[in-house]
Amino acid sequence: MQSAELNSEIDAIIKSIGGRPSDVIPLLQAIQEKYNYLPEAALRRIRETTEITAAAITGVATFYAQFRLKPAGKHIIKICVGTACHVMGAAAIYDAFKDELNIPEKLDTDRDRLFTVEKVACLGCCMLAPAVQLENSTYGHLTRQKVANLLADFLSSSQMANGPEKYSRSRNGKTNGEVRMCRCSSCLAAGAEPVYRELQNNIQMYRLPVQLKNVGCTGIAYQSPLVTVALNDGRQFQYGKMQPEKTREMLLEHFSPANFISRNTARLTNFLDRYLVSPQDEPVTRYPLDIRFGPEASYLGPQKRIVTEQSGSLDPLNLAEYRSNGGFVALNKCLQNFSPAKIIDEVEKSGLRGRGGGGFPVGKKWRLVAAAAGDKKYIICNGDEGDPGAFMDRMVLESFPFRVIEGMLIAAYATGADEGVMYIRAEYPFAPQSARRAITICEENALLGQHISDSDFSFKLRVFSAAGAFVCGEETALISSLEGERGMPKLRPPFPAQQGLWGKPTLVNNVESLASIPWILRNGADHFFKLGTKTSKGTKTFALAGKIKRSGLIEVPMGLTLRQIVEEIGGGIIDDKTFKAIQVGGPSGGCIPSWLADTPIDYEALTSAGAIMGSGGMVVLDESDCMVDIACYFMAFTQAESCGKCTYCRIGTKRMLEILQRLCNGRGRKGDLEKLESLSLSVKTGSICGLGKTAPNPVLSILKHFREEYEAHIEGRCPAAKCKALIIYSIDHKCIGCTRCAQACAFQAIEMKPFEQHVIISDNCTKCDICRQVCPADAVRVI
Amino acid sequence: MMVNLKINGKKIAVPAGTKLIAAAEKAGAEIPTMCYKKGYPHFTSCMICTVQEMKSGRMLPACSLPVAEGLEIETENQTVTDMRWETLELLMSDHVGDCIAPCRRTCPAHMNIPLMNMYIESGKAREALMTVKEHIALPAVLGRICPAPCEVNCRRSFVDRRLSICALKCYVADEDLASEKPYLPACKTPCGKKVAIIGSGPAGLAAAYYLQQMGYTCTVFDKNPQPGGMLRYGVEKSILPREVLDAEIEIIRRLGAEFVMQKSLGSDFTIKDLQQGFDAIALAAGLLSAEELPALGVAAKGRSVKVDNFTFQTDIAGVFAGGGIINPGKMAVRSVGHGKSMADSIDRYLSGRVQMMRLNRALSKVGKIKENELDAYAAGIGALKIDVYDHEFHRLLLEKNNAGISRVQAEGEAGQCLQCGCISFDNCKLRLYSEQYGANSQRFKGEDRRSIERVFDHPHVLYEPGKCIQCGLCVRITEKEGETLGLSFIGRGFNVKIGAALNGSMADTLKKTADLCVEACPSGALAFKENLCRFR
Repeated sequence: MQSAELNSEIDAIIKSIGGRPSDVIPLLQAIQEKYNYLPEAALRRIRETTEITAAAITGVATFYAQFRLKPAGKHIIKICVGTACHVMGAAAIYDAFKDELNIPEKLDTDRDRLFTVEKVACLGCCMLAPAVQLENSTYGHLTRQKVANLLADFLSSSQMANGPEKYSRSRNGKTNGEVRMCRCSSCLAAGAEPVYRELQNNIQMYRLPVQLKNVGCTGIAYQSPLVTVALNDGRQFQYGKMQPEKTREMLLEHFSPANFISRNTARLTNFLDRYLVSPQDEPVTRYPLDIRFGPEASYLGPQKRIVTEQSGSLDPLNLAEYRSNGGFVALNKCLQNFSPAKIIDEVEKSGLRGRGGGGFPVGKKWRLVAAAAGDKKYIICNGDEGDPGAFMDRMVLESFPFRVIEGMLIAAYATGADEGVMYIRAEYPFAPQSARRAITICEENALLGQHISDSDFSFKLRVFSAAGAFVCGEETALISSLEGERGMPKLRPPFPAQQGLWGKPTLVNNVESLASIPWILRNGADHFFKLGTKTSKGTKTFALAGKIKRSGLIEVPMGLTLRQIVEEIGGGIIDDKTFKAIQVGGPSGGCIPSWLADTPIDYEALTSAGAIMGSGGMVVLDESDCMVDIACYFMAFTQAESCGKCTYCRIGTKRMLEILQRLCNGRGRKGDLEKLESLSLSVKTGSICGLGKTAPNPVLSILKHFREEYEAHIEGRCPAAKCKALIIYSIDHKCIGCTRCAQACAFQAIEMKPFEQHVIISDNCTKCDICRQVCPADAVRVI
Repeated sequence: MMVNLKINGKKIAVPAGTKLIAAAEKAGAEIPTMCYKKGYPHFTSCMICTVQEMKSGRMLPACSLPVAEGLEIETENQTVTDMRWETLELLMSDHVGDCIAPCRRTCPAHMNIPLMNMYIESGKAREALMTVKEHIALPAVLGRICPAPCEVNCRRSFVDRRLSICALKCYVADEDLASEKPYLPACKTPCGKKVAIIGSGPAGLAAAYYLQQMGYTCTVFDKNPQPGGMLRYGVEKSILPREVLDAEIEIIRRLGAEFVMQKSLGSDFTIKDLQQGFDAIALAAGLLSAEELPALGVAAKGRSVKVDNFTFQTDIAGVFAGGGIINPGKMAVRSVGHGKSMADSIDRYLSGRVQMMRLNRALSKVGKIKENELDAYAAGIGALKIDVYDHEFHRLLLEKNNAGISRVQAEGEAGQCLQCGCISFDNCKLRLYSEQYGANSQRFKGEDRRSIERVFDHPHVLYEPGKCIQCGLCVRITEKEGETLGLSFIGRGFNVKIGAALNGSMADTLKKTADLCVEACPSGALAFKENLCRFR
């Protein structure tokens, strides 16, 4: 590219975004959006023409995971290595992509620069694990074998132009009901988009008197894509795991085509289809779900919706609908009847504690900010949800953006802030869009800006797209990043409540905490206080995933036990395996063993069981999960996400990880456990921010409850038969000689011998597990 | 507004917002720091300044924490010490550099080999000899018989070939002895105290050589007719010509040591007898027989006299032992080293100074260097990769047993030294604190070390990224002083490093802050080139 041309392009970007030091992250994002990476010449241009220093550019560009300094392939394959995906075999999927694309070991892009393979912390599609994002599509439930098909499918479909969205309407505009569907990231990943398009096409083709509506997620992810038919007479029918080819039949079941021709077309094509589709190709038959009696009753039964109120029926971006369902009632009540002090009293009375993980009383935090001296105050909504295995904030932002905004408005009014930022994680493409649109709608309706709802209260709100650093979930790091710096935490005190963004008092609250506020003020603090345990009030959302029958996003009242969640809501363990442990709180949390499953959802109870409430990641593990591998997984995550500022976190976590990797590789040494334990305690004490202080938690909780598994690894055994270096694959006499394993093996480790017992050549075996997965006779042994 | 707090039990009041470290200074407590420098923003990175708040038990970084009413701080206690110790061990585990070059570290006499090489290469023969004789009393002798463990550990031996250190030492010593006025070190005015040395082998001779310089009057007793011990009675003349041995003994004699021959401990006199006339005794009689040992009257272990590992003192106060008598090995250089160590110990014993010697595990070591690292390592100091093995030179070394290399050969050989030791040895806070807290650099040794790199592109500054502890002090200095490019953090987490922003060179980066940054660097990552190649 000509440098003059590049310079003028960069100048245009700077002109539209700005050139102040705090603009550096959005600037780099815009440049990367344009070029797919950050060309050095572009960075130099920024330094020459703005007040941003060279050190700031280099520092920021190399700190955040989102930025690439080398050109990437045309398409980026993001392989989720979140907790759920990890336990479901993400590592093998990553290897499969690299093998399939023939990418050499230390590189990430294929020779034709078509694909770049990248590991990402969590795509927030835990119930579809293992999942992969490619451009705007997410693929779930992958296996090694599906990888090649996926690439072929992508390459053929990416050449088709996407037509403009079509909206359906019956001729006279009258409808007999609604067809509701969620298109949040998780549902899209489960295949919601083709279903939605088919629904659109069919409604249009047959001119059906039905309104197709986008709604907030139900969280019944294991049934996704989920379609709800809501008739005007009040009856509702739900269809789980809907497929595009099934939409027509379903629609015609409930709605009659508008005219004669349509009716007959419908009949004819229906008949022809039935005639032409051979039985083998028939997908599994779907039945409408009966919420009252089916498993969904136990899934939904114990739940209580506050943050996710009206899930499955509310259009995320329909302000009128939000309003008619109690939206902004709380805000108006506050603006008209309550003083800021009274609001803080109410929030304090409700017992609401921070839902981002820390559990600091929300009311108390508000009081500190309200009391802090200063004419300028900020409020930040922390949506930098980075825990692998957690996607509550994403779902709330995508499905209930107005609720979060309302919560922020109330918080701002109560604390005296007049400016706010929604800081949203980089890996979520839809959540910031949804939040931005909601903000625009609010601005157009006098809910943001000057004189909100004809009061004296004014509030300005914007969205900041984060650039990919888990540590930015820590409030001081988040603030550094908003100021255009590397997201490195600072020692507290001073707390943001006193000195936050730009040195001004700043309230930082998590998405879920803020989304709880409208309900509390609308229904009264007492109602919220009544729910839960002595010290933990209200409800908590969790991303329930792992080895469980029904996974998804759940919201439960505090005090429910883990066992109730696993057994009632989750429906127990898949494949009739034994429940082993439940990981709560992600990389800052811990593993609670099955024998402590009666622990209630309660900040203190979870802590004493060795986990933390955390932000809401909940991954269920079964007997086939190796606890040392889990500890190693989380350590690898935190270690990679350490900002590198303080000695203990930078070097201590690395040394801990090395010990854990040694154990998993069968090179454990005597004394490793003691060293690991003492290092864990030191890292907790010596780190300055929450990331380092909690990083050893997964290791410690597993040491506490599963010490014998660590010991077994030192002796060279992996009791769960998971750690590759410690296991051997073999085929036993049950082998029927079907050759499927030999066909599936990509490494020539099994010779094809029809009708004979097959043999695994250990030297070639990479322990990818595919043979065991394809074996119809359960003849593959792992020891 | 003033804030009241207690530091080490002392009540003080400081203005609100004061950092703990400043308050501690006011209270007269010194807190170690590495990433902190007055006048620059605090950063809370290294954690060496950790102190303890006694009411809560919390560990707090003093450089960054603002004072608060009622804090009770202890800046030194066991918990604090333990934490600093562990902090240092972690930092050392990721600090890639040699405090002391591997050759010198493995030399039993700790000769400063890189410095000798530097002097030889620049033609400063006298300085080279003085460097050698600072640790080795008999260099011409050892030049011919030393098995040279230093050479085995020469950094180059892992990539091309080892340096012929022993031949260089021999060259330096021979040149001196052949000169008109061989080097005679200055001696302190005799203090009147007397030391008896039993045995005139390498250990005894070395002890006498250094003790005389320290102002003690030595008498060396030996059972043989002539001094030299095993050097004379155990080494063939063809290997060690006697005139070389005599010449080096003569120097010790000229320093004032008296030799009393054909007298042996046990048959002619006892330790008790000696204690009457001497203030201290050094036993250096070599390996004793099963009968001789018990007759000495000092505690033994096997066939050796038992001594304290650090002080070389036997179970009798004032009686020291070194050389073959405590270690049956045959390496003369070790005995020479013991001689010097005994002299140091005797000096401390007789002058009443505190014993400070301890086993030094704090030293940072690189270990083996990878072949691809050599270029980066050697570049800029003129040492080149040696492609052709110099057959002629080595034939000479073998035939003449190290002796007789020419000046040109010596200077050429010395010029191949990589100067592996750290030029910031004396002002590296990381090393100083590590020694002070007894940190073991190997305890948290990682699986893969960072690669060795030496960045030479600045006219005055040498940057060794492997030694950097990522404290960012230099980043803040270049920022505050307004460097156009400045230093920047690159990457994050364990892999974060510090380098020139926007892929610039160090020369572009440190235009006006080179002095400030070098002076502030706590771990020797930034240093003045001139100190490495002082004489180039």
